[in-house]
Amino acid sequence: MTAFNRLPAPMGLLIDRDRPLAFSFDGKAYQGLQGDSIASALLANGRWLMSRSFKYHRPRGPLSLAGQDANTLVQLPDEPNALADMQALAEGLEVGGQNFAGSLDSDRDALLGHFSRFMPVGFYYRSFYKPQGIWKVWEPIIRKKAGLGVLNLKFQPEYHDKAFLFVDVAVVGAGPAGLSAALHAANTGAKVLLVEQQPYLGGALAWARFDLEGVRAGALRERLVEAVEQHPNIRILKEATCNAWFVDNFLPVIQGTRLYKVRARECIVATGAFDQPVVFRNNDLPGIMLTSAAQRLMKLYAVKPGNRAVVLTGNDDGYLAALDLHEAGVAVAAVIDLRDAPADGLLVTALQTRGIPHLPGHTVYEALHAKGMRHVSGVDVRRIVGEGQVASDAQRIDCDLLCMSAGYMPVYQLLCQAGGKLAYDDDQAAFSLSGLPRRLDVAGSVNGRYALDNVLLDGARAAGGATGRLGLGGSAEAIFAAEPRVNFDWPIFPHPDGKDFVDFDEDLQVRDIVNATRHGYRDVQLVKRFSTVGMGPSQGRHSALPTARLVARATGRSVSETGVTTARPPFVAEKLAHVAGRGFDPYRQTPMHQRHLEAGAKMMPAGVWQRPAYYGKAEERERCMQEEALHVRQKVGLIDVSTLGGLDVRGPDAAELLERLYTFAFAKQPVGRSRYALMTNEHGVVIDDGVCARFAPNHFYVTATTSGVDRLYQQMLKWNAQWRLDVDVTNVTAALAAVNLAGPDSRKVLQTLCNDLDLSAEAFPYLGVRQGTVVGIPARLLRVGFVGELGYEIHVPARYGEALWDALMAAGRAFDIRPFGVESQRLLRLEKGHVIIGQDTDGMTHPAEIDMGWAIARSKPFFVGKRSVQILEAQPLARKLVGFSLPKGASKPLEGHLVLDGDAISGSVTSCEYSRTLERIIGLAYVGSGQSAPGSHIPIRVEGGEVVQATVVELPFFDPHNQRQEL
Amino acid sequence: MAILQAQDFSERSPLYPRHVGARLGQLGNAAVVAGYGDEDESAQLQRCALIDQSNLARVGFRGSDAAEYLRARGYRLPERPNQAQPQDDGCLVARLSQSEYLLLGSLRDAGSRIQQEEAGWQLGDSANYLLPRQDSHAWLLLTGEQASEVMAKLCGVDLRAEAFPPGSVAQTSAARINVIVINAPQGELPCLQILCDRASASYFWDALLDAMAEFDGRAAGIDALL
Repeated sequence: MTAFNRLPAPMGLLIDRDRPLAFSFDGKAYQGLQGDSIASALLANGRWLMSRSFKYHRPRGPLSLAGQDANTLVQLPDEPNALADMQALAEGLEVGGQNFAGSLDSDRDALLGHFSRFMPVGFYYRSFYKPQGIWKVWEPIIRKKAGLGVLNLKFQPEYHDKAFLFVDVAVVGAGPAGLSAALHAANTGAKVLLVEQQPYLGGALAWARFDLEGVRAGALRERLVEAVEQHPNIRILKEATCNAWFVDNFLPVIQGTRLYKVRARECIVATGAFDQPVVFRNNDLPGIMLTSAAQRLMKLYAVKPGNRAVVLTGNDDGYLAALDLHEAGVAVAAVIDLRDAPADGLLVTALQTRGIPHLPGHTVYEALHAKGMRHVSGVDVRRIVGEGQVASDAQRIDCDLLCMSAGYMPVYQLLCQAGGKLAYDDDQAAFSLSGLPRRLDVAGSVNGRYALDNVLLDGARAAGGATGRLGLGGSAEAIFAAEPRVNFDWPIFPHPDGKDFVDFDEDLQVRDIVNATRHGYRDVQLVKRFSTVGMGPSQGRHSALPTARLVARATGRSVSETGVTTARPPFVAEKLAHVAGRGFDPYRQTPMHQRHLEAGAKMMPAGVWQRPAYYGKAEERERCMQEEALHVRQKVGLIDVSTLGGLDVRGPDAAELLERLYTFAFAKQPVGRSRYALMTNEHGVVIDDGVCARFAPNHFYVTATTSGVDRLYQQMLKWNAQWRLDVDVTNVTAALAAVNLAGPDSRKVLQTLCNDLDLSAEAFPYLGVRQGTVVGIPARLLRVGFVGELGYEIHVPARYGEALWDALMAAGRAFDIRPFGVESQRLLRLEKGHVIIGQDTDGMTHPAEIDMGWAIARSKPFFVGKRSVQILEAQPLARKLVGFSLPKGASKPLEGHLVLDGDAISGSVTSCEYSRTLERIIGLAYVGSGQSAPGSHIPIRVEGGEVVQATVVELPFFDPHNQRQEL
Repeated sequence: MAILQAQDFSERSPLYPRHVGARLGQLGNAAVVAGYGDEDESAQLQRCALIDQSNLARVGFRGSDAAEYLRARGYRLPERPNQAQPQDDGCLVARLSQSEYLLLGSLRDAGSRIQQEEAGWQLGDSANYLLPRQDSHAWLLLTGEQASEVMAKLCGVDLRAEAFPPGSVAQTSAARINVIVINAPQGELPCLQILCDRASASYFWDALLDAMAEFDGRAAGIDALL
């Protein structure tokens, strides 16, 4: 091929001739212009072969030049399968071919085409599975052949995000119908969003010819685009794809790295129609393109598509395209009309005037090529003698460009997703849509309007309907002029030697579709799945209509009865990055978070909270945890327990609510005391625990587990509403910062900061609760014993949390205070045998299994789960949570390790740590009821399959009489 | 004169470690970001800005007696839930349900009126329960013409002025956490008052700044509001 020069202005709407861009394709350097797509730049350089077909590795060049086909799939450095006709050219861009063996120009796999008769449709369903096991041999070969492109595994993810967009009217498609609809809607005051897939507005007005003189489209486009761009009520998204329609006009629109989630009160789809290819032998050669593609190439990119062209058409638009080609200096060797005559007789005169040969009632029967099939070199033209039949007499016309258009297929995908029904109109040989939901309308060629005046009127009509429903005035009434039909009813000319492609993506020929029906797949959905027609990147944009026609004929039905396959989202391929968007992963931090970081804490997640696990380096976990725990036992430690759930339960019925929700009794609980609170669900399963601190007759402060408080809060609200009690429940988890000051010296530390409370054991005993101040900060103080030492939980308004921490650490310095983390706390509580709900319990645990029978007030008439607990307690215990210990040097079981009973599994370990205080390994585990007696030996299978013999011991492991916490 | 620091006060915003490079001023018993640098930030506020007001007083009341209690305290209350009523002294009362009110303090009195409401309340026999909103929620002010577009990147509720006029309240989710959003312009300055979980403030602050970046938005101080 020779390099084509660019056409002079005004051709080249999108390019900037003053800004050349250097790029490479398959290692060879080229030059394009700013505004070019990769494909247009390559075509400007005379490079047509851009890809190899999927199965037979046939050479392929651009077909639609609008991103509607798989012929321009190329490899970019960080992205396979990029569409060269949609991808903007950039300086220095390195583009490569893909899906070839050897090189794109010389692909060894092209030999496969010679064996196509041995690879009929569905051949892989019927091959490769005998003899048994042979699939494993074939699978890697087939998978390698099936893959397209290469992933860059070192690719750094880019920033993608999402945004909602709220509008009154969304117009999808900015062709003449879309522009008209947007303008009419906006003029009534509606806020309009105009979504356009291409980088320019105007749709076909930008590249098609609508009149003999070729002047109307340009002038109209200029006027409409200016009005739209300057309209304050219209927001335009160019290079944006509306990728689906979801109920209530929820539209995902992808633009660049953003996914807009559009909420439109009204939606008008003006997506236009796809130009349709003609099916004949070798209709896929480079140099054969849709007529609209050649026009795009000239008008948008100023690229002359060939030197000698043939136009094959099923409607009048092909004649107008021939005039465009002629004016661009392309010798038009013939206009071949599938019909006997054009609808507009003046078109014939126009051809004659220009000396362009006219062949009505003819078709291209075969495209010709030189060796290597790199480009079309001519066409075998024959007279049509019947549906899909041609005369035997042939004439050859040499050409290097074949433009084809059999008619149009509405871009129905979004509309079918909305529930629209396609019906085939035999008179028009075209599909039409009906049954659309309310507030979704359709305008322009997607609605079967092709005459420009009708298209504009249809846009106005749709806008009128939408604004009328919005209460802004307007009506959907319109009277349209009659139009000639644009589709030729049978543009399919099978060839005995095949290669008459129906689906370019999947290399499917006419006989493949027909054979699928002969295998018994009469339903078009089954034909699709058996043959893979329509399953390639172009998703049936060009194959759906011929497939429907072929299946209809082969099965003796109408095209309407046959229908087309389901159109599902997305409309075009979308990246996972678009779906994921900017990740939102909320986390919560306590008011003392900064202090933990400054102290070198190793943070750990606790639900969405970030908590200190221990203070020190990750590799020193064991040492840090043991030292912190020992410090609490011997001196004083401080832990941030702000994440602990907190609920204020206030009102005359506060005690009654707790009576009904928790297993224990609270009605007579004295003010100034706390009480353990265990909660079961309706099935008697333990779901949460905490303490209920009574600060007033009508005020309880209830604590809950970090992970359980939100669910507990919801439960309280639900039950409170159901029981109609006079109670207010407030979740104050985040509102109160809390610490546990624990250890033998904790009272001494607190006494230096607390002036208004008597902290002596007599005045403020274990389980007592008080309200006072600590270093002047209003505080709730609770004497608790979770870690088994003298300790005070101090709860203060969150705004003071860090100041409280600072004050306690400063006051504690004289007593060698140190902070301790969650893991240290877990060891301390394990030494005390305290259960953590969620860790030592599961979805089946009932109170008796964890020795919590003491926490049930059996004389109460009711609590949630009471009857279930009674039933469960009446059954023999199947398992029980026990404490166990192992000598210091034994293999340490981990949480989840199994407890055995003979060959059977009787339970599992829920908690286990080495205790430096006790100098042995201690843990909690569920065991069979026969293994639960203290002194029993329980086999635990640990890492590597080793079985260790642990001894069941009485709980707690440490300070059995709880003397330390009650000091 | 010593430079004011957030840690000079016992009351601290959960976001104070984020206020790097800020010039602080005193607001009641706490520090507040007065501005970044010495230049007037009015233009920034008009464009797109985020201000941490977490140290400005706020409190909630709930219960069947709450409305009567607040009226007796001189507040004009919104007629319906999800509405906000500005008060003459600059305070704002938002009605969050049939029986729940949120009182937002004013910079004019450094929040002292609302602070007194919180300090003076006592649990008694009436069904009027104080809700510690200053401690449960962080308070952010998103200003500027682009405020609703910023929020559209985080929140599924239409917060454009046409759909969410001044005085509107939305209790919704933004960036996957619960928020209360109030459209409360200050004169000609579009303002969304946003209250979010205090413990999630750091997360949400970053999410908002990230959403604001394309609009040239940034953190600012209260000086330009006064």
